[in-house]
This record gives sequence, structure tokens and C-alpha cells, in this order.
Amino acid sequence: MSLDDASRPQRRLPWQVAAWAWLAFCVVVAVHQFTFWRGVHFDTDVMALLPQDEQAPEVGRATRQLADQVTRQVVVMIGAPDWASAQKAADAWQGAIDAAHAPLKWSALAGPGSLRDTLAFYAPYRDRLLTPAQRMQLEHARPGALVQSALAALSQPGGGFRLADWNADPLALWPQWWLARASDTRARPRDGRLALSDGGLEWAVLLQETTGAAFSMSGDEPVSGALDRGRAAALAAVPGAKVLAGGVPLFAEHAAARAHLEVNTIGWGSVAGVLVLVFLAFRSLWPRLLMAVSLLVGVAMALSVTSWVFGHVHLLTTVFGASLVGCAEDYGLYYFASRQGAPGAPPLKLMGALLPGLALALLTSVLGYVALGLPPFPGLRQMALFSVVGIVGAFMTTVVWFPWIDRGSVRATRFSAWIVDSFQRYPRFAAGRGAWIVHVALLAACGLGIAQLRVDDDLRQLQGSPKPLIDAQREIGRLLGLASPSQFFVVRGTGADDVLQREEALKARLDARIAAGELAGYRALSDWVPSQSRQSADAALTRRVEDGVIAGVDQVLGEAQSRAAFDTAPLTLDKWLASLASTAGRALWIGAVPRQDDGTAFASVVMLRGVRDLAALPDIARSADGLPGVRWVDQVQSVSALLGRYRHMMGLLLVGGHAAVMLALAWRYGRRAWRAWMPTAMATAGTLALLAFVGQPLQLFNVLALALLLGIGIDYGIFLLEREDAGAGSAWLSVVLGAASTWLSFGLLALSSTPALRSFGLTLLFGILIVGVAAPLYRPRTLSS
Amino acid sequence: MSRVVRAVALAALSLAAMASFGAAPASAAASAPAVDAVKLVRERLKLSPVLKGDFEQVKTLKGFKNALVSRGEFLVARGQGVWWHTQQPFESALVVTRTRLFTRNPDGSTSNLADAQAEPGVRQVNELIFSLLAADLDALADKFTIAAQPVGAAGWSLVLTPRDANVARFLVRATLAGERDVQSVRIEEARGDATQIRFSHQVPAAALGTDEAARFQ
Repeated sequence: MSLDDASRPQRRLPWQVAAWAWLAFCVVVAVHQFTFWRGVHFDTDVMALLPQDEQAPEVGRATRQLADQVTRQVVVMIGAPDWASAQKAADAWQGAIDAAHAPLKWSALAGPGSLRDTLAFYAPYRDRLLTPAQRMQLEHARPGALVQSALAALSQPGGGFRLADWNADPLALWPQWWLARASDTRARPRDGRLALSDGGLEWAVLLQETTGAAFSMSGDEPVSGALDRGRAAALAAVPGAKVLAGGVPLFAEHAAARAHLEVNTIGWGSVAGVLVLVFLAFRSLWPRLLMAVSLLVGVAMALSVTSWVFGHVHLLTTVFGASLVGCAEDYGLYYFASRQGAPGAPPLKLMGALLPGLALALLTSVLGYVALGLPPFPGLRQMALFSVVGIVGAFMTTVVWFPWIDRGSVRATRFSAWIVDSFQRYPRFAAGRGAWIVHVALLAACGLGIAQLRVDDDLRQLQGSPKPLIDAQREIGRLLGLASPSQFFVVRGTGADDVLQREEALKARLDARIAAGELAGYRALSDWVPSQSRQSADAALTRRVEDGVIAGVDQVLGEAQSRAAFDTAPLTLDKWLASLASTAGRALWIGAVPRQDDGTAFASVVMLRGVRDLAALPDIARSADGLPGVRWVDQVQSVSALLGRYRHMMGLLLVGGHAAVMLALAWRYGRRAWRAWMPTAMATAGTLALLAFVGQPLQLFNVLALALLLGIGIDYGIFLLEREDAGAGSAWLSVVLGAASTWLSFGLLALSSTPALRSFGLTLLFGILIVGVAAPLYRPRTLSS
Repeated sequence: MSRVVRAVALAALSLAAMASFGAAPASAAASAPAVDAVKLVRERLKLSPVLKGDFEQVKTLKGFKNALVSRGEFLVARGQGVWWHTQQPFESALVVTRTRLFTRNPDGSTSNLADAQAEPGVRQVNELIFSLLAADLDALADKFTIAAQPVGAAGWSLVLTPRDANVARFLVRATLAGERDVQSVRIEEARGDATQIRFSHQVPAAALGTDEAARFQ
């Protein structure tokens, strides 16, 4: 490093321009920040973090459409041994909720009017609508037997389940068809409520919707709070009642509150940690102030650019971003440590000398974060962008402002002097048999550990919601017989009717799975609107059979009835979608999608109810085999597979990254390059072994963290190699301070209750520790003398 | 008493099941039944665990020139079920239990019309029947507006009007009349159909015979 004054005037001007330009940019960001925080909106939707299937846009559409349906819905179920108690508990619950003024309102149920309208809408097409069992029965029954059962039904008491005049439905097929449609849910109206019986308990089903804006970052849980009060009231009214609450808003609210807490602990914890370190290491005011400014600029810029690029900032990005503090301050620390080590050097001159090393360090960190954004997970990309912008912001602030603003001397404290001195006493590996033996032993230990490492890409283990909430949700799904939102079929066709026909082919196969007990049922558009060919066939069948039955009954009873007239035009999807009758099944229709080579341009969803267990899924999935346009979608499985594929790919990329870093280091440091690389390589191997030791399975997120470790860890090697002259002690000071604050940030991230972030934090917690300890061991001989 | 029930039950069975598709927040504003008259009916009716007898049913259906007349025997066992055996003009048996509704064919086999496993509403409907069977006029008052009237020295009549809008769309009213036993039931449906049932030869019993119990299996 040369600090001669000769080159100073030439360099001054561009630097000045850069400083002013940076200030202008910061003002723009500040203005944006002002508007951003006034209308602050953080995305809490977990779906936003999951990858879109680029091969099949209809799958993404289907997923969103199904999710949108329930995004505001809160379902509460209150169970008691008898219906009177269940009602009493439900009344108490309702009273408490009303009193709590929670942002909840009752879901609009289909009233008697809409039931009547729906029946009226379908009535002209009654002859075209049959359940599979009815079709079978009519095709195979003897005409005489059908006349007999019609006569028997006439003589039986009561209305005989009749929804139409006798001559419009002589075999009472219509009510059965409606019962089949009603099987979409197990809840039924009872005394003005929805109710169901299960396992000896009578359940009241209370449907609510959240009102008002999305969740604030205040950390409140107004919905959960109100539901807790409701639960207490219900239990007070009927001790021993069971109260289940579920729905997307509960999960989202919980996630928001948790993220709020974590942003605070990680963010403020890191800031406090950095400031304490700076306070201990540098006595002057400027370092403390400037470090805070660089962090502020970095974080503000990261927020602004992320919201500008993505249109919103996800909550988990802010949680992850909070750990950025520990990374972004490395450059400032390096600068001030160097200032302390070279008190006589003018700041600008010093910065000029530090710049190449700083830039290389920035480059490796940026590359580490860019690797984070390589997998097609929107959430990871957002975190990657946030982090890259954050560290570039902090870096630029350090490089262009610090030398201008920083004045006077940065005096050493007893703490910093102690660290600088400790460097001389720190052991180093000397070439020789001892070092070889130690390395072989360490590598063997790491190899043993890595051999124990378990790989697990299952998406389910990333589920970070509390178990009681998940259990309640699962129980509600089981009780109500809800269709699964994550496993379904997507059916494509050239037109609406083609889609319906293909659905019918699929349903015929699913009926076999139902008969095998693997499935309770399905929800399909063609249940509500059969294909035209199916409608014509069924209309012909009912005409033939019912004409015969009416003639037979007329003959026996001496009547002269004739069959009622029905609409001659079939029920079409367009008519159905245009009517209120489609309310229940509308979400199953995806509609127009990008045309594919096979000419298909429309799509729908067929959902499954009551899948027996996970083992039944492959059998059910095979129902799509050989059916044109039918595609099985298992979100859990496909995301898990994607996680596995990218874990593998990023693993290879990590190896490539190490090689690329070695080349970059060799270009600058020649034969000494391995000294900067070795600590990180040791840390990577050691971290994998430690993960195995603590029983953490290896996932994509661990591998991504190792990529980031490469980016950050190399910095420390670079800082130590850059200043192997008298500045070595101050470089060591910056490494110690930088590693400590980074370590603190990721250590706090390891406390996150989001499993992906936790495993990320844990990996870096191990990795940074090993790099910090190992880095000085590989310093060249000249440094220790 | 169980006879009041039986007929209303069978009517309610079909009607309430139909009403059970859509969600319907009924106005559950239960006005107090005419307590005194109901009490009087309760006093005049005599309950027994098992009751059998004969029936004659006259149905007038929209579209039919002639009334449909059927005759047969019935058996009501409180807590177990209702057996409705039509002998003329056609042989058929309808059985209602807590969880099932089925017909027994001449060969002894059964065909399910509905069961609680497949259709959750069935249990609810059958529970209504059983609350009727338990002569629970208070429970009936939740679902029907009851107008009771004494008739002569020993007789009475009850007019039940459904409270639930969905049920009311199918059932206009049920009228029951009797003395110690229910003697007649009239059911008027919104569609214009009406059913008139007369009971005779009622015989109370303490328990079911073995062969009688088998009818509910």
C-alpha cells in the first residue's frame, strides 16, 4: 500500500462527483421511503414465495384461484355431545365475537331465495342431469320394475322427496342428483345454522370473513385475539365443548405477528451489536455515526428498490433482510480499522488504497447473494435482490462518503489495541508435517460427519406454523370433507365442451378409486354442467324410461298423464357461469389459457375430497395416465422435487463457485491465493459435518447459505491478505469485528420460527464461526513476524 | 302420543330432507306456543313405547284425476324406528331408523333410500322424527308454530306450521286430530298435493316382539 501524495489531485474530482451523485440518489430513495412508509404494505401470502410452474400457466392460475376463494375465510366449529349444548356454546361464542369488535363479519350464506333460484335455473334441464348410479340404474332396470317402484312411491306417505311435479320427475331422480351436489360439504343447515354430526359430537359451523385492510406490521393479532375470547365464552357456557378455528387469515396473522417480532429482534439486535462493537473499538464519534448512516442507507435502498422491482415487499424478506445488517457493515469496519492502523494517512488516500480489496470483497458477497436468487422461487429472488442492493448501498456510502466526512483521527481503544495485539499471538499453520497431520485429521472428521448427513427436501418440513393451528385446520378439513387445495387435476381442452368431456373420462376412472376406498369424492365442473354429449345421452335415456313409467302408471291407475316438457337446448357453461347457480363451483373453471400445440386453450380443475392417506396419492395420480389434456398436480410433491433439484444444482454451482473464487484470488494474489480461500473451504466442510452432528437434514437452504458463506467468508481472507504489512493488525481488527457482527445477525436469524430462515441462519452461524477462527491460521509467515 | 308423531314425522322426513340442501338462516324467533292448549293435548294423549295399528291413506296429487288410496299396517317403536307396511294396492314396506331410510322388498332384501353416512342431513331429519316420537312438543315448537285446540270432552286438534322458510316452501301445514290416540293427520304441501291419513285398530305394547324388531335391521 502506498500513501504518497503525488496522485491525490487527479483522483479528487471524480470522487467528489461520485459523492454528490450518491447524495442525489440517496435523496430520491429518502423521498420514496417517505411514501413507502406512509402506505406501508407487506405481503404475507406464503404462496407468493413458492415457484410458479412456468411450463403450465394454468396450474398457477388454478392454485391462485383456489387460494383466492378462501383468503378471507375464517371457519370456527363448536362441538358438544348434543345439539342444544352446541347451539348454546355457539351463541356464547357469537356474543363474545360481536362484543370484541373484531375485524370479522358473517359470511353471506346462500339464503332461501338463492336456493329457489338455483332450483329454478336447473329445472328446465332436469332430464339431462343424472348421477352415475342413476344412469346405471336406468340403463339396466326392467321397465316393469320401475313402474312398480313408481307406484310404490306414490302409495307411500309424505311427499316422497319430490322437488318437481310428478310428471316432471316420476322416479324422483332429481332430489338424489341434488343430494350428490350437496356432498361438496358435510355441513347442513340446521335451525338457522350450519351443522354436522361426527364421532358422537354435534358440531355448529360458524363461517366468518375478515374485513378491513391487510395485516399491519404492528404485531397485533386482532382476529386471533377475538377468537380466543369467543373460545373462552363458549367454554364458559358449555364446559368441555370443543372449539376449532381455522382459515388462511389466522395463519397469515400469526405469520405477520411473528415476522414483526423477528424483524425487531434480528434487526435491532444486529444494529445494537454492531454499534456496541464500533463503540468498543473506535473511540471517536465519526465512526459510530457513519457506520449507522451506511446501514441506514443500505436498508432504505434495499426496501425501495425491492418494492419498486417487485411491487411489494414480502414479510419474510424483511426478516431475512434484517440479518443484512451484519454483512453490510464489514466495509465500514474495514475502513475504520485501517484508519486506526495508519493514523497519519489522509482518509481519501487510504480509501484509494483499500478500494481494490473492498471491491473484490463486495464482488464475492454479491455473487453469494446472487446465487441465492438463482432458483425460481420468487421469495428467494426478492431476498437476493434486497440483500445485493443493501450491501451495495452500504458499500457505496462507505467508499464515496466516509473519506469526505470522516475527519480527525480514529483513536485506538483498549479493546481494539487488545485485538490488534492478539493477532501477533494468534497461532498459524507453518508448513510441515504437523500441519499436514492436522488437516488430514480434520478432513477425515468432516468426511465422517458429511457421510452421516441426511437429505430431506420435503416441503412439509418447512411448515412453520404452530402445530395447534395446523391440527385444528386439518380437523376442520376432515369434518367438513373439504377438497384439498394442493393436490388436484388440471384438465385442458380445445373448448369448454372438450374440457367437460375430458373431465368425464377422468371422473369415470376416479369412480374406481372411490370404489377402492382411496378417495371419498371429487369436485368437478362437469358435475354441475355435464358435457353436451353426456346431456343428450342422459336426456334420451330419461325420455325413454320415464315415458314408459308414466304410461305404465297411467295404465294401472287409469290416469292420462304425459311427461312434462323440458328445454330442448342443452345447459351450456356460458349460461351457467352467467347465473348465480354457479356460485359454488365457479372457482373450478380456469377459462382461457395460452394455446398449446395440441390446440388446447381452455382449462378447469378437478378437486379431490377425503383422500385416504398419502399412500393413495400415486394410485389416484395414475388416473390421469393416457387421458389427453389431463394433468396431475401435487403442489407439495412438485415443490419438494424442485427443492431437491435445486439443492443438487446449487451444490454443483457451489463447487464451481469455489473454483471461480480461487481463479479470481489467483489473479490478484498469485501463489498466495489459497491462503484466502482455505478458511472458507474448511468452514464449508466443517459446517456440513456440524449440521449432520446436530441432526439437521440438508436442504436447498443450507446449500444457499453455504454459497453466501463463500461470498462473505472470502472477504476475511482478502482483508488479511491485502494488508500483510504493518496494517495486518488493523485488518485483523476489521475481520474480528465484521465476523462478530455477521455472526450475531445470522445467529439471531437462526432463532427465526420460519424453518427455511432458521436453517439458513444456523448454517451461517456455524460457517462464519469457523471462518473467523480459521482465517488467521492461514496467514503468510511475514505477517506473524 | 307417538302417533301424532308418526305421521308428522313421515311428512317432515321428506320435506326437511329436501330443505337440507341450501343454507338457510331461518328466523328462529320462537314465539311461545299456546302453552295451555298444548298441555291439554299432552294430557289427553296416552303414550306407549310401542304402538301398532292399521292406516288408510288418501293422497290427492296434482296432475292425477283420481285420489290415490292405500291401506296397510304400521308399527312405531319409540327410539328405534317406524315401519310403514302398505298392503293395498301394492305391497311395500318403508322403514325409518335413526340413521337410515329404506324400503324392504318383497324378497326381504332392502334398498337404501338414504343413510346418514352418505347424506349427513338424514341423521338430522331422523332426529326430528325421534324428537317427535319422544312426544317432545317443546322441541317441535322450535321447528313449528303449534296451534292446539280442544275438541269436545276428550278430543283435540293441532295445527303445525313450519318456522323454517326452506321447509315452508314445501310444507304448508300439518293438521293432527285425535283423542287418546291420533286419529287423523292431514298434510298440505305447497305444490298443491295433500295427504290424509286415518288410523284404526291401534294397539299399544310395552316392547317389540322378536320378529318385529327384525323389521328395523
